[in-house]
Amino acid sequence: MTAKTGRRLFWALLILLAAAGLLLSLLTGPVKTTAGDLLRLVRHHDQVQAAIFFDLRLSRAVLAFLVGAALSLSGAILQGYFRNPMADPFVVGVSSGASLGAVAALSLGVGVTAFGFSGQGLMAFASGLGIVSLVYLLSLRRGDFRVETLLLTGIAAGALASALTSFLLFMRSDSFDQAVFWLLGSFHLADWAQVGAVAPWFALCLLLASWLARDMNLLALGDETAQALGCPVRRVRKAFLAIASLLAALSVSVSGIIGFVGLVVPHWVRLLIGPDHRRLFAASSLAGGTFLVYCDLLARTLLPAELPIGVITAAVGAPFFLYLLHRKR
Amino acid sequence: MTRRIRSALFPLLPILAAGLLVVAPRQSGARTPSVVPSEHGSFAKTKNGLPQGPRVIEDGLGRPFALPRHPPERIVSLAPNVTEILFALGLGDRIVGVTRFCDHPSGTASVRKVGGLVDPNIEIVRSLDPDLVIGFRGNPLRVLDRIAKLGLPVFVLDIGEGLEALFPLIAKLGVVTRAEDRAARLSAGLIERVEAVGAVTAGVEHRPRVFVLLYGQGLWTCGGQSYLDDLITRAGAVNVASGLPKKWALYKRERILKDDPEVIFVLAKSEADFAAARDWLRRKARVESADAVRTGRVHHLDEDAASRFGPRLVDVLESMARFLHPERFGEGT
Repeated sequence: MTAKTGRRLFWALLILLAAAGLLLSLLTGPVKTTAGDLLRLVRHHDQVQAAIFFDLRLSRAVLAFLVGAALSLSGAILQGYFRNPMADPFVVGVSSGASLGAVAALSLGVGVTAFGFSGQGLMAFASGLGIVSLVYLLSLRRGDFRVETLLLTGIAAGALASALTSFLLFMRSDSFDQAVFWLLGSFHLADWAQVGAVAPWFALCLLLASWLARDMNLLALGDETAQALGCPVRRVRKAFLAIASLLAALSVSVSGIIGFVGLVVPHWVRLLIGPDHRRLFAASSLAGGTFLVYCDLLARTLLPAELPIGVITAAVGAPFFLYLLHRKR
Repeated sequence: MTRRIRSALFPLLPILAAGLLVVAPRQSGARTPSVVPSEHGSFAKTKNGLPQGPRVIEDGLGRPFALPRHPPERIVSLAPNVTEILFALGLGDRIVGVTRFCDHPSGTASVRKVGGLVDPNIEIVRSLDPDLVIGFRGNPLRVLDRIAKLGLPVFVLDIGEGLEALFPLIAKLGVVTRAEDRAARLSAGLIERVEAVGAVTAGVEHRPRVFVLLYGQGLWTCGGQSYLDDLITRAGAVNVASGLPKKWALYKRERILKDDPEVIFVLAKSEADFAAARDWLRRKARVESADAVRTGRVHHLDEDAASRFGPRLVDVLESMARFLHPERFGEGT
């Protein structure tokens, strides 16, 4: 089997899996529904079933897909950016920063809603990007900056943000459900407004990333080499950092922190179709979205009560990650 | 320096852009046809040609709620105390969904469970096609808002201070279920019983010092902001933890020894739990020198009845008063 047919097979399987995942999400839930119900709905309208199928289940599955895709793309970008397979949205502090913003909004009682985001969502978004800017500013040395400094500053800032988040949640004993939501993530409040708020941003970021993918390939050769080959290294790096941060902040602002997707999924995809970023970005997005759709399906069906999705992503992601790692060596 | 700041601000650019771009998706946000404007929205129209606005009342959080014209037939209750009040109003047969904690009265057993207090399942709630969803403080507001976004009328109640707050709560539930008369009757009956207890305990010479133990982990008790504190006062006693500006608090062992309560009320789910609690107080809690433990004046209160802000609080009040002042109720010596 040539690499090309292998890749085609990969894409076909992935698309099939994604479609099956969406359909499964549409049909499964605490309320029993069958494919027949869905088909009947086409012919005559039933308000209750329409609400369950489209307003609740489909919006949720689509949001899970988008967030999974965004997190995974963010991870793929950052792993290329740092030339380090251990990078994910956590290392630049954006996830922790975003969740700090959300919890701070909760503590301050910010109640505004705008653009399909809640007040907390907006604060999450702003503080996620704010903390990355801060990290970037701190890691500058005489106008120049080193990737290692950025990495370490990001981890430190992220840890600080997590500590503040835990502190704020601890101070409010009545916010247990909020704590679970912002620290482990969930899609149980998903609605179409959130989908509408995330989708265009994700599309824009994916487009930009794909457009710059060739430059990311050059960065893999080292900054000096890339520069010599005509890649405007500094500008490309800034753009990628901005895109990755935007994606991660966007995700956290609608669904809380969901770990492991940004770390694991790009890795799987790289193992399966190779490191060329021109393919990797789109493939990681599709794979990440599909992965999270299935994880969300598990999160809401495994137990009578819903599990936080972060529990599932780690529990499913880690073993599979280890398996792929060992098989490859 | 300027260059440094300028380059650092670069990642912030998307935020600025966000303001320009993100406005659009809100309109395009693919609203499904399923979400028609909720029913009560249409009452602003006329009936019989007469302009007749919907009667809008405020819910417990001060948010406007358009009153349905017809008595709601399919009610989902998201809190055990709300369920109990609805049953006490004789509306049990109109309840189509309750939480898994709603286990009183027995009529709740056959009602569909929609999940817990913190995690009611939105999908199940929607599937029951309710014409009224009643939430309570303790339900996450974000979940209630999500349910409202489905076009279901959600009415949220808040807990007030003291036993007095129960009666406005019942009245509000009466209004929103269009059972105002029954609510008035229920409240009148309860108030009569509360006043009877008040009359009996009004002139007691000695108000015993009471400690409330929420049996479970450690010396949890109710502070001055708890309605149980109010019940204890009405029952003719003094809550030793009254000074704590909280609803529930972990009490210090030394303080119990210093306060030396004459009576301990134990909130326990069952007789077996109560026996275990009494045993724990005597042997393990190291409060055996307290007056109540030495004399054995430890009394069981039904934890569910005492922890739900509903009609059974009056049962709890009567139980407290009878135990504290048996002579005044014509019992004992």
